[in-house]
Amino acid sequence: MHELGIMIEVVKQVEEAARENQAEKVEKIVLQIGEIASVIPHYVEAVFPAAVYNTMLEDTILEIEIIPANGRCLKCGKVFSLVTQNGICTCGSEDFEELTGREFILKEIQIS
Amino acid sequence: MSAIRVIEIKKGIYEQNDKKAEEIRKELKSKGLFLLNLMSSPGSGKTTTLVSTINQLKGEMEIGIIEADIDSDVDARTIDKTGVKVIQLHTGGMCHLDAEMTRQGIEALDVEGLDFMVLENIGNLVCPAGFDTGATKNAMIISIPEGHDKPLKYPAMFKVVDVVLVNKIDAMEYFDFDLDLFTAYVHKINPEIQIIPISAKNAQGMEPWFDWIREQVAQQKA
Repeated sequence: MHELGIMIEVVKQVEEAARENQAEKVEKIVLQIGEIASVIPHYVEAVFPAAVYNTMLEDTILEIEIIPANGRCLKCGKVFSLVTQNGICTCGSEDFEELTGREFILKEIQIS
Repeated sequence: MSAIRVIEIKKGIYEQNDKKAEEIRKELKSKGLFLLNLMSSPGSGKTTTLVSTINQLKGEMEIGIIEADIDSDVDARTIDKTGVKVIQLHTGGMCHLDAEMTRQGIEALDVEGLDFMVLENIGNLVCPAGFDTGATKNAMIISIPEGHDKPLKYPAMFKVVDVVLVNKIDAMEYFDFDLDLFTAYVHKINPEIQIIPISAKNAQGMEPWFDWIREQVAQQKA
């Protein structure tokens, strides 16, 4: 569980962006998290209040968009969900190239 | 009330860390200082391996150690007895080190004149693999009791390391550790990884490891 330290870093980056844009308030931040990223959305939400404590994000709404983990089968070329199919293509092959799913992105901030 | 503006950032959150890590790597190169990030699970023999490595090499190079622990200094005390420079970082519950913490360690240790520095990461095979510390190279220790299937369970770790020490080979006969199978699993993930079987306790098989360090230290000064 390393989400708190990571979210503290996110808060710093948001504050910096907010300052650069002369914001008075950060209304909302949108994060994109891959299905197999090293952070778990549920925990990100749980630690968010602690990470924003005493910062300009104290009243900010957190929104998380999940990016599906997809892989391309190296045998038949089909793109499939790594999570629902447990890394096994419908053709039976377990060799794939990871396309998406490890993202952890600060997508946008909404300021006023 | 002023209108809400949407600012698109679209920036990877780890980009900041990667940038800091790259700066640290450049700085170390300019100082001719080789920094090794040493990772493993808890109890694989990181500190024992480190002590025996320090004792072998301290006569030929200046060594410094950055110890990281969630909240103790037992490892730093053990290292301190070898007489090399050591600093203890407390991560305060964090399960990995990042570039910012490496930076703090480097500043606190006073690295002028050092040739070889080790960052002893938190005992954990998951999180440390995800964060670039700024080290020149990455090594991990796996021990015989942990089993040869670790590369299948923790592939991310094996993607980032340059060398793997297989420790406690003196206990080989008591466990079902298949070194050939382990090697095959590792090389399927990353064929470049060098695998060195050792027993840190009995100082067995350590020479190729010492040579690897000597070579890296020389390269960093080239």
